[in-house]
Amino acid sequence: MRFARVGAALAAAAIVVTACGGTSSGGDKTLKLGVTLPLSGGAAADGQPTLKGAKLAVDEINEKGGIGGYKLELLPLDHAVNGKYNEQQAAQDMQTFVADPAVIGIVGPYNSAVGKVQIPIGNDAGLLQCSPANTNQGLTKPEFGGMDLRKNFPERIAYVRVAATDDIQGPAMSVYAYNTLGLKNVLVIHDVTTFGQGVAETFRDKFQELGGTVADFVGATPDTTDFNAIITAAKTKNPDGVYYGGVVTSGAGLLLKQMRQQGLDVPFLGPDGIVNGNGDAEGSLIKIAGKEAAANSYGTIAAIGDFPAKAAFDASFIEHFKGDSEFNTPGAYSGPAYACATVILKSLEEFLKANASADQAAIREGVRAWATDPSHSFETVLGTTAFDENGDTTQPFISFYVTDPAAPNNGDWVFKEQLNFGEQ
Amino acid sequence: MTTTTMPAPAGAVDALRRMRIGPYLFVAALAVVVFVAIGPDQFVNALTVGAIYALVALGYTMVYGIIELINFAHGDVFMVGAFTAMFVLTSMLGQDPNASATSLPQALFLILTTFAIVMPVMGLLGVAIERFAYRPLRNAPRLAPLITAIGISFILQNIVQIIYGPSPVNTPQVIPPTATIQIGEFSIRIVVLFVIAVSVSLMIALQLFVSRTRLGRAMRSTAQDREAAQLMGVDINRTIALTFFIGSGLAGAAGIVQGFYYGNIVFILGFQAGLKAFTAAVLGGIGNITGAALGGFVIGFIETTAAAYGYNQWGQALVFAVLIITLVFRPTGLLGQQLGERA
Repeated sequence: MRFARVGAALAAAAIVVTACGGTSSGGDKTLKLGVTLPLSGGAAADGQPTLKGAKLAVDEINEKGGIGGYKLELLPLDHAVNGKYNEQQAAQDMQTFVADPAVIGIVGPYNSAVGKVQIPIGNDAGLLQCSPANTNQGLTKPEFGGMDLRKNFPERIAYVRVAATDDIQGPAMSVYAYNTLGLKNVLVIHDVTTFGQGVAETFRDKFQELGGTVADFVGATPDTTDFNAIITAAKTKNPDGVYYGGVVTSGAGLLLKQMRQQGLDVPFLGPDGIVNGNGDAEGSLIKIAGKEAAANSYGTIAAIGDFPAKAAFDASFIEHFKGDSEFNTPGAYSGPAYACATVILKSLEEFLKANASADQAAIREGVRAWATDPSHSFETVLGTTAFDENGDTTQPFISFYVTDPAAPNNGDWVFKEQLNFGEQ
Repeated sequence: MTTTTMPAPAGAVDALRRMRIGPYLFVAALAVVVFVAIGPDQFVNALTVGAIYALVALGYTMVYGIIELINFAHGDVFMVGAFTAMFVLTSMLGQDPNASATSLPQALFLILTTFAIVMPVMGLLGVAIERFAYRPLRNAPRLAPLITAIGISFILQNIVQIIYGPSPVNTPQVIPPTATIQIGEFSIRIVVLFVIAVSVSLMIALQLFVSRTRLGRAMRSTAQDREAAQLMGVDINRTIALTFFIGSGLAGAAGIVQGFYYGNIVFILGFQAGLKAFTAAVLGGIGNITGAALGGFVIGFIETTAAAYGYNQWGQALVFAVLIITLVFRPTGLLGQQLGERA
């Protein structure tokens, strides 16, 4: 009993301290933009350039004197554990953001599985989150189970994204593989995860609908290291391409390397999970498979690749981070992360115009409400963007990338073309 | 002392029974069935993974045989061996991880040097682990060294992760991975032949060592009855250290061929391989050297067959299903704990 009382006293003290902290940080007029990404180990190649996209936006706003008298501070939390994203850590980080009243919005996460655990927390708290990279359709769309993630407040949207969804990304690669690359018989392998299997299934269905055949549809769990038996089995069916639904940490690099070792030199296709940096980047597909083996690989990015302001954005990114020893060039999701930060900061600006003296709780709710109103649109680095009634972007662009072994840094991904699937 | 483990011969039938031909026939029959079911290409895949599992399993079974400890750090010794081999090769070939040998003499030189360095170094690592982590606990309750073994496993993993990072690392493939030779109408990759040849030769060498040499006899006698062996003048500590040296050296060899075959290693490699190898040792009859080797190949067969038929995800479940069925009918594993061969 005594312990319980001591505990209660401590908890009360903690609340007082937090409350004081809240008022004092309100006093010096700082608001925080949270960033939730996997930032260390093998996942750093994904997370770090994305983080810097958001950082660039915040730094630029602060150089201009902030918004409505507020300075902005970036609060990045890393949920990579042992180099892989970790849902539990991500959920804890989300609670940390919610508990800090100065956080008005969050950029991230990167992985759809993380989105799945974070969205309900953000929905309960009414804290705006904008993902630059999540593509799983089930996170938002009611027909794929999106309502399960916002069941406590079904009418409230707290999660938006600037990336297109997998139900588009998979079929987009089918269209590209069938029409542009001329492939007719493709082996499909997936990593049995929410993201990997989902995107592989949509690829398979569309590819068959177009008239192609699927040589085989095989699952291999993310801890698979030996793909030789799968490759040998597939070779008897003479596939003219291989599609991998998954990410590099779940085996894309190992699969590609073993394919080439067995002499299966057909195009290697995959979703955004395989497009992760150049041949020098820690944990990248090109580094793991080797640049020669990685040649002839095609990946989709469920975001606009060649956005109108890309050249200017890349230039200012490189200028801004030229002092950094690594990750000093923009990654595939730097621009989208910058756009996400723009969405949140623009909403803050608009809200503060009408409610200059609002307290932090009101600002948090005001930012969320302004951003998720489908009638509002944003001038972002990606072009004019708005969000539909589920928080999905109204501009679902899919970009196609191909590996170039001759590119600097031991090979790199280069942009080929993009298609707007909002019109299809 | 020479006759302690060998009952007197009593007729040809008895001799055959004592050779326990049944389990060998079972494995041979399984091999034939698998060969017919999945064809020569897949069969070669199965032999290759099986050979690596078997090499790692030998260390498990030897250590269990002699001190009845499940050495969970053994899989990680295998992993450290793979990284040490990479270190040796990149020191000689330069830092480009995709380099391979340019000529046959150079390849032979690189291979021999790697084995000559990595196997003894891993052997010494094994001896050090035994000396500092297990020997002080030799008379402690069974649980203590088991937990220590798990601790060592994590320590080794963390050290390698800190040095080489958590992502898969490329390792030089001395034998060009796509090079093949033609046998009749069937072409086989040279690296695969190499992996199988190295593994099988090491297994045969180990079997000869244990059954034909004085030190091998000391190992067998220690396994059979430690106190009696001590009374007969066997240096127990030295014999146990020798067991760890050989087992870990073989794990080092497995690490080398793993790198040659896949060209890619990662710090958590030892966990999965260790689990499979341990399963192989139990399947074959833990404590039994031939059993561990056969168990490794059986697991390779099962996994590859599952993958060949598109049930890759069921491979692990199938392996353990076979293990359970085997243990139900033969609780001591395929070959049982034959004291005579136990080491």
